Amino acid sequence: MNPLRDRLAIFTATAAGVFMTVQYFVSAPWMDATYRAILSWMQIIFACALIVGIGAVIKNHLTKIQRKPNERYYSVVLLVAVAAMAIAGFTGGIDQGSSFLWVFNHLQAPMQATVFSLLAFYVTSAAFRGFRARSIESAILIGAGLIVLIGRVPIGELLTPHLPSTADWIVNVPALAAKRAILIGIGLGMVATALKVIAGVERTYMGGR
Amino acid sequence: MQRRIIFALLAIVVIAVMLIKPRLPITVTDSTRGVYDQIEALDSGAVIMLSFDHEASSLPEIGPIGAAIAEHCFRRGISVVGLALFSEGNALGYDLLSRRAADAGRTYGTDWMYLGFRPQYTAAILGMGENIGDVFATDYNGTPITSFPLGERVRTYDDIALVVSIADGSMPTYWIEYAANRYGEKIIAALSAVMVTSFTPYLESGQLAGILTGLKGAAEYEQLLGIPKAGTRGMAAQSAAHVLIAFLVLWGNVDAWRRRKSDGTKR
Repeated sequence: MNPLRDRLAIFTATAAGVFMTVQYFVSAPWMDATYRAILSWMQIIFACALIVGIGAVIKNHLTKIQRKPNERYYSVVLLVAVAAMAIAGFTGGIDQGSSFLWVFNHLQAPMQATVFSLLAFYVTSAAFRGFRARSIESAILIGAGLIVLIGRVPIGELLTPHLPSTADWIVNVPALAAKRAILIGIGLGMVATALKVIAGVERTYMGGR
Repeated sequence: MQRRIIFALLAIVVIAVMLIKPRLPITVTDSTRGVYDQIEALDSGAVIMLSFDHEASSLPEIGPIGAAIAEHCFRRGISVVGLALFSEGNALGYDLLSRRAADAGRTYGTDWMYLGFRPQYTAAILGMGENIGDVFATDYNGTPITSFPLGERVRTYDDIALVVSIADGSMPTYWIEYAANRYGEKIIAALSAVMVTSFTPYLESGQLAGILTGLKGAAEYEQLLGIPKAGTRGMAAQSAAHVLIAFLVLWGNVDAWRRRKSDGTKR
């Protein structure tokens, strides 16, 4: 523990929190200038964080290559891909027709879309196995799910014109009520956490102390 | 039923429907029509900001929405400023806008512009409310944005009629919190279908100006534009997959009920 460092971090968080709250309501030239400067600092800090992140990924996978023989091939592929994309971007640019954009559009995007689309197969299998009406509540849940599932695609309207409107009612009334309650709860929690950070009570952002 | 049989069934159904290409009637919902009407009501020469806040994985679902909106804007003579607050959306957004602009014969720098990606979306959204040039001094290709006529015209959100966040996650929340609430910008969320319930409360409260929903939203928008493309093509396959899932769920329950009955046990 370093008390001076902790106090400095708490002071910075408190000062930034108080300033950003006050400047929302009060307009003054120096406040606006400081606000703009802080926004720029945030961008710079995050850009640096990206560099740190890339460094951490490279370090982590170099360690894996050394210590985990079974996983080293995946790490090699990752490091080669990172290096290749960086070289392609820095040397050939990222414009239309560049090798960087070609690789992104023709390799990364289809690969990610493929992995994502596999979810449809697992969801179908899970729905078949998991959606069992073992009680009144679960039967209602499955019924509502099926209505929304069919009512939200064009074939639902072909079956009966009431299906889309019933699906909309389920989404816009009971589901929305629950969602709104959750959102209000999250909002109050965020306000409470922000106040605790500004007051120096919440200190987990300093490393769990 | 074995998992592999379920997988094969789904694959067969989707492939068969995509080969047969049945045309299903697509009814335009009020939500989609509302977005269309807002863009339709803008003057020619107005500027819309399209933010590609999604990953490559969800491109098949929400890519068609971005394409339809870009098509609508270019057709109406509305200028488009593109950007990305997700690194992966950056190249995807640039590629999409480049193609649409080329098809519509629109000029870069005058009719459309692509700002690129900035990390830390909170600061980026807030910063653009003060001065877009402070956040994006150069465009995607590294050219100063003020060297373009459109870059000269667009300084803050005051110069932008609408922001459309094409997102597969919670990014529209930040647009609402920082661009809509602080700077009074109108925000439209073009979302993957699974995210819609999360954002409907914002639509009801008036903090969102509109919502477009997944592939179906794209199909409805294409219907309004009179150009059936990827969204419309996907509707038959999506319908068939949903019907199969519903059928399997019902079958699974009937089968379980019959087994319970024959075993004489009650759960």
